[in-house]
Amino acid sequence: MSSFTKSAQQWATFARSWYLIDARMQPPGKIATMCAIRLQGKHKPIYHALSDVGDHVVVMNSRHIAFSGNKWEQKMYSSHTQYPGGFKQVTATQLHSKDPKAIVKLAVYGMLPRNLSRRTMMQRLHLFPEDDLPEDILLNLTEELPQPREIPRRLNEYSQEEREAFPTLWTPPEDYRRK
Amino acid sequence: MVFLTLSCWIRNRGPDRYWKVQEVLSNARHFRGRKNRCYSLAVRAVRRAFVYATKARKIKRRNMRTLWISRIAAASREHGMKYPALMHNLVKSSVEVNRRVLSDLAITEPKSFLSLAKLARARQQEGFGAALGDGKEPPGVFSRIVTLQ
Repeated sequence: MSSFTKSAQQWATFARSWYLIDARMQPPGKIATMCAIRLQGKHKPIYHALSDVGDHVVVMNSRHIAFSGNKWEQKMYSSHTQYPGGFKQVTATQLHSKDPKAIVKLAVYGMLPRNLSRRTMMQRLHLFPEDDLPEDILLNLTEELPQPREIPRRLNEYSQEEREAFPTLWTPPEDYRRK
Repeated sequence: MVFLTLSCWIRNRGPDRYWKVQEVLSNARHFRGRKNRCYSLAVRAVRRAFVYATKARKIKRRNMRTLWISRIAAASREHGMKYPALMHNLVKSSVEVNRRVLSDLAITEPKSFLSLAKLARARQQEGFGAALGDGKEPPGVFSRIVTLQ
């Protein structure tokens, strides 16, 4: 890098990268924090709020996000049509069935700073419900970010050897009857 | 009647009104709306602007420090450490580099910043070892530097 000209070094420092995040089985809040940090440019040591150093973030499989707890039934998204009697409240499940990208989009929108650059940062966020990305975005991608949550495996995804090698607390006797 | 001849009716106003007005308007030229042209509006806007400027001298120092901190946090996360851990371990290793210089190093001297981050990481591991281990002397040198008085 010391052999670059000053202009080439500056071009490389201030270039906008494209990050890819796979949201399959991930909590949408954690995905949204990773997106918000990179859209603002807070992952760069050259960060400044006025310098527009944010990067593009592409989120795929947003249809397969996984809320923890009972949030699919309990989390409410509210809006108002500005007409009288127009207050609408929908659960996360209903919103997700109507628009699979809305949950991640609203989460990221709420995590960005409330100033005029929020709209430009949201334009640099690209959401896709499945993993089929268009050609031009695939050509731009530079890095894939690791998933924040380790996906636990189902019992039938463990092999028989792993199941036997798993430590047991006690072995029941021969005549033990389970309910 | 006091003024009996025509020449006594003439009043001599101040000769420098133009320059007194320009003194204020020149500070208001970059404002929005009629505040940049009309003296009565400009006087109030210029006074507010000067008050904000005096208050901002303290706020500038605060903003610069938060900017340095966010830059150092970004650079340390690139190297796998968090900002509080980095600063605490640098202090424990008696490296008294301030945030301004650290952020400049992170931007212009990335290798030096990496070496400081590795120093802090080593001191952190020694701290963990001392806390969790059995009190034996570790092979490293960082925790045996004289602590600050």
